[in-house]
Amino acid sequence: MRVPARIYASKEMLESAFRDRSLQQLVNVTTLPGIQRAALVMPDAHEGYGFPIGGVAATEYPDGIISPGGIGYDINCGVRLLTSNLHFKDVTVKLDKLAQRVFEKVPSGVGKSGHHKLSVKELDEVLREGVNWAVKNGYATPEDQKHIESSGFLSDADPRCVSLHAKERGKDQLGTMGAGNHFVEIDRIDEIFDETVASRLGLFTGQCVFQIHTGSRGLGHQVATDALKVMMKVMPKYGVSLPDRELAGVPFSSKEGQDYFKGMCAAANFAWTNRQLITLQVREAWQDVLGNENGSLSVLYDVAHNIAKIEFYKIDGRNKKLIVHRKGATRAFPPHHPDVPEHYRETGQPVLIPGSMGTASYVLVGTEGAMKETFGSTCHGAGRAMSRTQARKEMPGKELLQMLTEGGVSVQTKDIWSLAEEAPYAYKDVECVVDVVHNAGIAKKVARLRPMAVIKG
Amino acid sequence: MKTYKVLPHTADVRLWVEADSRAELFSAALEGMAGLIKTSRIELLKEKSVENIIKLEAPDNTALLIDFLSAVLTLTHQCKAVFTEVTFARLNETSLNCTIKGFETDGFDDDIKAVTYHEADVKNNSSGRFETMIVFDI
Repeated sequence: MRVPARIYASKEMLESAFRDRSLQQLVNVTTLPGIQRAALVMPDAHEGYGFPIGGVAATEYPDGIISPGGIGYDINCGVRLLTSNLHFKDVTVKLDKLAQRVFEKVPSGVGKSGHHKLSVKELDEVLREGVNWAVKNGYATPEDQKHIESSGFLSDADPRCVSLHAKERGKDQLGTMGAGNHFVEIDRIDEIFDETVASRLGLFTGQCVFQIHTGSRGLGHQVATDALKVMMKVMPKYGVSLPDRELAGVPFSSKEGQDYFKGMCAAANFAWTNRQLITLQVREAWQDVLGNENGSLSVLYDVAHNIAKIEFYKIDGRNKKLIVHRKGATRAFPPHHPDVPEHYRETGQPVLIPGSMGTASYVLVGTEGAMKETFGSTCHGAGRAMSRTQARKEMPGKELLQMLTEGGVSVQTKDIWSLAEEAPYAYKDVECVVDVVHNAGIAKKVARLRPMAVIKG
Repeated sequence: MKTYKVLPHTADVRLWVEADSRAELFSAALEGMAGLIKTSRIELLKEKSVENIIKLEAPDNTALLIDFLSAVLTLTHQCKAVFTEVTFARLNETSLNCTIKGFETDGFDDDIKAVTYHEADVKNNSSGRFETMIVFDI
């Protein structure tokens, strides 16, 4: 171990963490060349590939390791929150119709194509420009862009570092949700924990809001796969030897490190643009069902939870430039941080934590505690607690659908059989996860959301 | 003889594969992955068969197997097809040249993001058979 391993968890969570290999993976992360201060894992931790899910590690720029396993296959999987001006009671009577319309508008399911089939030139523009492309083409407003992490694009992106295979997989997937644990959700805010901050974020009790959870689709998966294959071959050339193949990495400053980082940035740009086009589709559904008189949907914020960023932190009293890996972890910048949108400088950056289907989700804000302890990071969700096979055995999809419907949650999906894999009991208790980060001071609770409708692939 | 079995995993899917020969191990892994991508074969478009050639080199046999399955996964998405058969012109510890065959499909049942190297370790067991675990990121 080059640095300590630090775990954020309750006593019960710590006991369950020993049931899979997440802590062993965390110890492996401590061996990364150039790693600073500590390898961290958040309370939603579970076993991943290389890094545990919920893992955070920062290596020294420019020669510390960059490891695709510290970002994940679904580059820039993330969450976006849209707000309306309406109370959920104003929406309830049209809820089923609204959910159905969203389901019709947003392509979902495994390998499904979107409405936007891009030429090679257009795809390269998306990869290079991210949400800038969407603004240029009328799919996003400048106001939308101000409310996205990194303004929805990373300038280091280079489409030449994305393989033809990856582009083939991604060219017709823009504006699609995917499947698995990806979703669009219609929620209501059922509790406010900090009235002042909530008011500044434009949130109120009973408000109807939308969550979008998806990432870079097949394009991002291929970028990660391609990079791992290359890095495993060249690691010996850089004298890098690591205990786990999936932890493969090379110096950030190396040709292979730079190629991966630029490809990762391009995939991240694709993901933000993906969530932007889904936003457009959700807005269309909203207008179709509720009409123009009920206003539109605004972007509260959009966060990435699988990404690497170049950021500055104090290490032993010195301001150091670091490569921060967040794999199933969310950036949580505090008030007055220059990278937080001006509108949120007083409150801190919004942090969006989706729960499992049928339970709660949370809005938090970033804190100074996160900057001091966790490289500006916090948890990303509930974390799986049960295998998909076991979840399907506990309750068949049809029964779960009935349970959710009787509990007041409308579900739209084509795949009832797989629905059971995403049941609430398959995940950790998100309330416990959020309480850990709140009590540890690495994010602050603002509001809780309850689902009214879930749209899944 | 070749066998494969899906085993539990918290977040994703674990496939255990065992076979008498290296070629059969690769073949069984391919079939196992195909079975995850498309659990029901009814919707395979039998009149639209697809073939592709794969040529690869890798540092060792485990990496070769994972890279082979990754290449098949890429072609699965590109061709919108499920590949269930493989014929090897060459297969050794570190390289292969093969033809994969399958059928176009109107959709997939599971979204395999990636074939991971996690837990993969091709070796001979006490019965002299080839075996390995493969974990798929779903």
